[in-house]
Amino acid sequence: MRRKRRESDAGPPEAAPLAPCCERGAVMMRRARVLLGTLVEVGAADAEAIAAAFAAIAHVQARMSVFEATSDIGRFHALPRGASIEVDAQTAAVLAAAADLHAQSDGAFDVALGSAGGGWRVRGCTLTRLDAAVRLDLGGIAKGHAVDRGIAALRSHGCRAGYVNAGGDLRVFGPLELPVVLRDEEGGGVRPFCRLSDGALATSHFAASSRSRLYRSERAVAAAAIARHVCVAAPTCLVADALTKVVAGTGRSDHPLVARHGAVAWLH
Amino acid sequence: MRVLLAPLACAALAPASAFAVEYLNAEQAERLMFPDADAFVPHEIALDAAQLQQLDAAGVRARSARWKVLAAQHAGSTLGYVVVDEVVGKFELITYAVGLTADGAVKQVEVLAYRESHGQEIRLAAWRRQFVGKTASAPLRVGDDIANISGATLSCTHVTEGVRRIVAVVTAARRLGMLS
Repeated sequence: MRRKRRESDAGPPEAAPLAPCCERGAVMMRRARVLLGTLVEVGAADAEAIAAAFAAIAHVQARMSVFEATSDIGRFHALPRGASIEVDAQTAAVLAAAADLHAQSDGAFDVALGSAGGGWRVRGCTLTRLDAAVRLDLGGIAKGHAVDRGIAALRSHGCRAGYVNAGGDLRVFGPLELPVVLRDEEGGGVRPFCRLSDGALATSHFAASSRSRLYRSERAVAAAAIARHVCVAAPTCLVADALTKVVAGTGRSDHPLVARHGAVAWLH
Repeated sequence: MRVLLAPLACAALAPASAFAVEYLNAEQAERLMFPDADAFVPHEIALDAAQLQQLDAAGVRARSARWKVLAAQHAGSTLGYVVVDEVVGKFELITYAVGLTADGAVKQVEVLAYRESHGQEIRLAAWRRQFVGKTASAPLRVGDDIANISGATLSCTHVTEGVRRIVAVVTAARRLGMLS
């Protein structure tokens, strides 16, 4: 009976029934590409700016993907203990931000995923391997950074407003109020969540079947039982993306780091 | 940063609704990929069992024996090819176009549409059929509804596999002289 009702409810799908955005009149285009292993959508009024945003995001993928042997992370993994490589300035900046967040969160945020917390060091653009066992994965922060770079590309092309959404990590700027709907990870479909202006929102879902995993510290395993679906709004997408892991790992939407970064978190 | 939360009544308690975005229609994608083309010539490719087996041996499941390949031409010479395909994920249906160069390498991949179902209807042909022949709404006017979806990262492995499959099919079709 329930199934039948759901089918008949399906009807022709429509965009979620939310009120319109505030800046009327400007012609916005929205384009999507497959990047960062997900669907990346860019919205802006200028096609060249959109192309530049995709190029900026592709650069982050090429430099920071754990799956590409030629990326900075791939090259790092090929290093013996004690050896160093020069990395892209953006990779260095993301690693430095990751190191800060690791310290500030008392280890709850860890791009080494518990493999060897102190096993790497970044100084300027020099990345050094201090422990042969360490594995780095920027999956918990680089997507947010890629969104920020996409936004920077739109701005530098003179766009007054726009947004970038990388599979749920999104940021919007300018006189735009973006309706955001949340995907139901268990049953599919979406529900209205918020309207976002001048900021970023990241969502992570932690479950046995989901792609996002917390590293297996006892604390993370314990917290995962209560923290399932985490949303964080923050001024930048890098911070929003990274803080979802802190909130999920600690089970605390009121973790002090959230307020310190001017963010707001929700646990569902 | 400003966040206006949806009223609880229409958030947590609301039944999940379907979601669809159409970015480009096939013709717009063709023009975007080959702006210099003066003609797009359709070729209906039909692979026989032996040809499908060859692809299979090369590690590519062709999925279908019949493919439509558009040859982008300028003054009679071939600039490249465009193939439109769709893939089904757990809850999502993604339509995409692959542009290939004249020698069969990937030039560009554009996502044409993304549709999110709310349940198992993604597997039903009737649900998928409702999108056939739909035209794109892009470019959108700000002020129209441009809701964005957030959630755990949507995996696009199916699209990546689909692109690989299209490259193999076009390569085979070129080798067999089906596109000339």
